[in-house]
Amino acid sequence: MLNILIIGAGQCGNRILDSINNKAFGGGRFSKYYSKQKFPSRVETIAVNTAINDLKEMQYTKAKDRLHIPHLHGVGANRIIGKQCFIDNKDLIMRTIKERGDFDVAFVITSSSGGTGSSFSPPLIEELKNTYDFPVYGVVILPFREEGTIYLQNTAFCLKEMHNSGVDGIILGDNQFLKYAGTDIQSAYDGINSMVAERILFLLEALDSEMMMVTDLGDFKTVMSGGAGIATIGFAKGDGTNSIKSIIQQSLSPNGLLFSSNIYEEGSRAMIILRGDRKYLNIDDISSQIDKLSSHIGHVFKGVIIRNGEIPKILSVVTLETTVELDNLYTLAVEAIQMEKEKHDRMALEKETGAAFSKIDGLEPQY
Amino acid sequence: MKTYHIVKCGLILIFILILSTGTASAFNIYDEEIYKGDGYQINNYFIEVFNIISHEDSRLLTINMYQLKSDGTYEELDVKRETNVNNKLTKHKYQSDIVEIIVMEKNCTSTYATVDITTSGIKVVYNQPVKGGLSSAKFIGEPSLLLTKEVDKTNVEIGDTIRVTIKAKNVGSGPAKGITIDHGITPGFTFKSAIYTTYPEELAAGNPDYTQMYIYEMEAAQSGTVTLTPAIATYYCSTYDSEYSSNSNSPVVTVAQEAVETSVLELTVTPHKTELQRGNKVTFTVSLRNIKDIPATTVRLDMIYPYNLTYESGCEDIKIIDNKPVIQKSIYEARYEDEYDYTFLANEVGIYNITAKVSYNDGANNIINETTSDMIYVTEGKYDFLKEYPLYVYIIPIIIIAAIAGWIFWRRNQFKM
Repeated sequence: MLNILIIGAGQCGNRILDSINNKAFGGGRFSKYYSKQKFPSRVETIAVNTAINDLKEMQYTKAKDRLHIPHLHGVGANRIIGKQCFIDNKDLIMRTIKERGDFDVAFVITSSSGGTGSSFSPPLIEELKNTYDFPVYGVVILPFREEGTIYLQNTAFCLKEMHNSGVDGIILGDNQFLKYAGTDIQSAYDGINSMVAERILFLLEALDSEMMMVTDLGDFKTVMSGGAGIATIGFAKGDGTNSIKSIIQQSLSPNGLLFSSNIYEEGSRAMIILRGDRKYLNIDDISSQIDKLSSHIGHVFKGVIIRNGEIPKILSVVTLETTVELDNLYTLAVEAIQMEKEKHDRMALEKETGAAFSKIDGLEPQY
Repeated sequence: MKTYHIVKCGLILIFILILSTGTASAFNIYDEEIYKGDGYQINNYFIEVFNIISHEDSRLLTINMYQLKSDGTYEELDVKRETNVNNKLTKHKYQSDIVEIIVMEKNCTSTYATVDITTSGIKVVYNQPVKGGLSSAKFIGEPSLLLTKEVDKTNVEIGDTIRVTIKAKNVGSGPAKGITIDHGITPGFTFKSAIYTTYPEELAAGNPDYTQMYIYEMEAAQSGTVTLTPAIATYYCSTYDSEYSSNSNSPVVTVAQEAVETSVLELTVTPHKTELQRGNKVTFTVSLRNIKDIPATTVRLDMIYPYNLTYESGCEDIKIIDNKPVIQKSIYEARYEDEYDYTFLANEVGIYNITAKVSYNDGANNIINETTSDMIYVTEGKYDFLKEYPLYVYIIPIIIIAAIAGWIFWRRNQFKM
């Protein structure tokens, strides 16, 4: 049995973590009262946040698993403040992690654009890598592009810092790409959180299950070490009528991925996990699709989990060599940084000339 | 001396007059026409025109006289006949020691005779022409009064008034005359007043109905069982020149001692409602009233109620003695009235009543008086259906719910920050 640590940092990380815990209970609103979490491994979850209200909103994560870093009510999307706050509270965070025991792998879930999550995650991963020898993976959610310049520049720096932190891989999810998940902003966020949580749980199960065809943590590490260290996850499930072939194709299509990518062009390594009743899992169809993918990207690990009576579900983890979407994002981020810099310079100039206030210099009020 | 003789002669004359009215005196009947075969009855003497024999212009009248007997027989009397040679009229005469009857013929036809009848030595109480001769004559006998004395009540107390009625009926064969009534006052009673006194002096025989003779009222003055003195009627019958008397019956009257005035406590119990559900309360109001002018003492008011009713509360006078509500008062004033409320809890379904029991001393004796309320109907309570099931039916779910609630509370706290 694997020992897995999942850390949700910042509001986004907290909510995805809470969704993971909810689904581990079974998914119902009141499941925490009557059900037990069904993790296949020993899973420890820790939510970290400087905003206590975000922690209080969590419903399925135990209070003892919520770590509040006292700093007003958040860091206001300012990564400089956030990083300093992490440095100030690093010992508390690491002590909390240490108290949970030894782990075989860790996942740090965060948004790249916010304050606490984007600023805490890179140094936290670096500290974990410096302290422990288990692999640490970042699960990073990219922002809506229209959310503003600060979020874009935060994303750019967060991803860079995380990449340089020694992380063993970054799994990307993209709000911009996944926003079809809901009809309004709230349901979209909830849908994205649920989607990400469902895929992570599937991944955890795949890493620690007795499978007909085995994939394990070692395979996952090999997959994640490929390419540029950037990966995404695809997912699809059948309805009992469609073939396993089409379901695999769907999981690898842009609609099935968390991050927009052309797998066959940009992929480096992949791992495909199939789960469902034996009658749906046609080995010829599966082999043909695996062969097709491996012929494009190289090596593909595959695992099969037999579940009697269950309709087939597919999880695919694909590392990317290059990603056009990420390049586009960084182009936007550079523009955003420059726009913020120009704004800064302009305001600094206005301050120097005194602006409107200087007009009354030397005058006294008359009564 | 001359005055003395006048007085003496007067007294003798008065004596003779008294004697002549009080005893037999002469009785005359003139020009009585009696047909042949008919007769005339004077008391029990019967004069019969027995025969008229015609011969040329003369008529020979034959009159017989008889003494009627009480047994229906008669005795023919010895009649002496003297015929006047001048006028050919006949004189018939009966003569005994004291009685003399003379029938003097005055005229005679072939069918009837006209006669004068003179008697002496007879006190005539009955005289009547009789058609049909001797066979139609009726014996005139002695009177006999049957006297009754009736009272309107036979059980009285001292001071009470009794009305006495005296009635009489002549059950003899002759008229009762000169009737006087002695109502016969009884020792132990005081005559109060006469109500009716106009009784007849004479009662004819043969009337089957009683005649009211005398009514008076008397007051009981002495206790005991008293046999009233009979009334006495005295009367006479001139036929026999005798006096008679008759006694009435003697009613028995019980006269009780005059009652000592005591107190009397009247009791009523009224429920405020007669229908209620089990588990509800009902109040009974007990009204206790002394209806006499004498106070009652050592008064104790108890409530007797079924175990299905539980005493809950009541007025300030109520004390709990041996787990029962009791009111005790050393004295309950004359003409005093009060009300006491008792509230009971209905424990079981059923039909119940309660009894109020008051014991007291009325001034002479210890009295116990009880009264029972109207029925009250206790129906099933709103939640009585819950009692149909054993306790564990409720306890187990409660334990389960409590455990679930406890679990939820504990679990909620685990997830609450």
